[in-house]
Amino acid sequence: MKRILLPGLLLGVLIGVASRPSALWAWDAQALLDVLPTAALVQQTPPFGPWMQTETTELTLQGALSHTQPIVEGLSLSGTVWGMADSLPSQSPLSTPAAKIDLQSRVLEMKLVWEAIPGTLIWDAGKKVIHPSSGFFRTPLNVISHGPLGNTANLTGSAVGTWEEGWVGTDVTLLVGSLSIADFFSPRLEGGAAADTALQYLSTPQPDWQDLARVDLRLGEADVRLLGLLSTGGPGSGDTSVHVTAGAGLDTNIGQAVTVRAEVSAENSQNRMVVTDSQLGTTGAQAVSWAPRALAGFTWTNADQLSVMAEYYYNGAGFIGDDYARLIAYSQNLRNGSFTGPDVLDQFGDFSAAQHYGFARVAGKIDDKLTAAGWTTVNLQDFSGLTGIVLTLSYDTWTVNASLMDAWGNTGTEAGLSPLLWRVDMEVSLFL
Amino acid sequence: MKKMHRASLLLAALVLLGGASGLYAASPGELLAQVDARRYVPDLSFVMRMTSFDGDKQVESNTLWGFVKGTGTENRSLIAFADPASVKGRKMLMDGNIVYLLFPKTTNPIRLSPLQVLLGQASNGDVVRTGFAQDYDVASLAETDREGVHCYQFTLAVKEDRKDASYRRIVLWVEKETLRPVYAEFSTGDKLLKQATYKDYRAAMGKDIPFAVDIRDGDNPQKHTIMEYVKVGQKAVPDTVFRRDYLPSWVPELPR
Repeated sequence: MKRILLPGLLLGVLIGVASRPSALWAWDAQALLDVLPTAALVQQTPPFGPWMQTETTELTLQGALSHTQPIVEGLSLSGTVWGMADSLPSQSPLSTPAAKIDLQSRVLEMKLVWEAIPGTLIWDAGKKVIHPSSGFFRTPLNVISHGPLGNTANLTGSAVGTWEEGWVGTDVTLLVGSLSIADFFSPRLEGGAAADTALQYLSTPQPDWQDLARVDLRLGEADVRLLGLLSTGGPGSGDTSVHVTAGAGLDTNIGQAVTVRAEVSAENSQNRMVVTDSQLGTTGAQAVSWAPRALAGFTWTNADQLSVMAEYYYNGAGFIGDDYARLIAYSQNLRNGSFTGPDVLDQFGDFSAAQHYGFARVAGKIDDKLTAAGWTTVNLQDFSGLTGIVLTLSYDTWTVNASLMDAWGNTGTEAGLSPLLWRVDMEVSLFL
Repeated sequence: MKKMHRASLLLAALVLLGGASGLYAASPGELLAQVDARRYVPDLSFVMRMTSFDGDKQVESNTLWGFVKGTGTENRSLIAFADPASVKGRKMLMDGNIVYLLFPKTTNPIRLSPLQVLLGQASNGDVVRTGFAQDYDVASLAETDREGVHCYQFTLAVKEDRKDASYRRIVLWVEKETLRPVYAEFSTGDKLLKQATYKDYRAAMGKDIPFAVDIRDGDNPQKHTIMEYVKVGQKAVPDTVFRRDYLPSWVPELPR
């Protein structure tokens, strides 16, 4: 089994060029420079060519500018725009574009917020991100998430990235007593190939319409959250049939030191790729009904500022038993170059092909300036995983993060099939 | 005329005596309620600077914007971090012991345990927001001198139905003449958690407010935080703004 070796050193320099606002949240800006030397084993001419180590350095500059502008009492306009220049958009050392820098930009959020009845009825229109989930390493209730933008290193194992593009739509929230009810409607927005090309630096097309209703209720000290989503297809799909997703979540405290959370969501029908023959490399499509995604977890903190977080994730659309064994065998053969075919292993994203996962994180304060955290994600079916250690040194105007991440497991496991062996990240943030 | 003058003096004396006897006649609990009433501003909006020291060395400084309703375990407040830049944009909702924190560029406030809040700088807000009479019974009351000031010394024990209060026991020194708190010790009962010195009293919105509170760590008194009001005002808000789902929509503004 050959594995792609990706030892890398990521040096990120985060430079905040915050403005001097006349009001709180007026202007806020960030720039992120990543320097990523990589060495990878890459097959020269798939599927049967020789493997060769190739080294290159990827440079990425990302920036985001945010602003909130109160217009009159109860009415405000806020937004965030993001841009990225990447010297190696393919992220492959063997696909280095000659003298080309890839540019991307997006309006992440841009919305007008009106408190029609102060503190009670809030209406907003524009582009916004909606993340109802309380999960850390998996987020079952983030049912209309676009996912992270750019290539900022994920130092903590968190499912939510630094930047994410929102959806264009309108949201109404009613707050009454211990109850809040909200509904977000996002229309289909496609203008044809020419318009999509022209607008690519502002927004990605919205091929589906979506209506997301949320109800939040305080029961004693617990927060209960219910949501329902009607949509055509899903993010980026061309599926015009209407789908239903339902979800529920709960957050509460236990005693003085523990918070707990649990959530579940399920879609009425979902397509997945399955391996039909791992030796021949054949795959097929399969519809799955009401396959739940569920998360349960807790955070415990002690008096010495040590916190321990643990979460369990169930992926109902994932694979188990013979299906999982066939998937692993197929992926081994695919990586060995026995055949070409789709990447079935990563169809739900990195490290999400199985049904059962666990996550644990321990974080503590070493002194007033230095904190340390260690985390691990484990595939509970084959006991392979990812482990990271993060040290953060903080001052008022800057922070330094240093992290080491390692994928562990033999070549018959999900993490063992990951192209990533280990990675060292270093990120310097400066706030002005 | 002279008789009238004498009668007036007598009347004034009676009024004064009556007032004074009323003061002395007040039960310890009523006296404690008066201590609260003289400094409590309903619907307080504020800009506050919190500066932490280790000895003489400044460790950290934050500026917070927010508003607060109620006191003690019934306290609810919305707080936004204005500086330093590394924490700017964080918003916090404290609803009694239930606390949510919203990080910039995220949309779902995360829930913190009471201990997580108690360990952070924001926990010093507990001291400022303490409703002595609301959450505590007077276990004993004495008179004593503290740094040349004649004081009532209250020993307070948390009420049976307020067991979720952050501190089980408080010893409170109150200037007898003005009923201004001057010093307090907050403890679990056995362990001293915090010592607070109330300073810089100013008249604002008809109340007598300590604009600075110096809070020392019970374990290490070298570590202390000074909380100072930079600006205060009043803002009446509906109860529903203290909901988790309001936090992302909240745009902090200066007190008026």
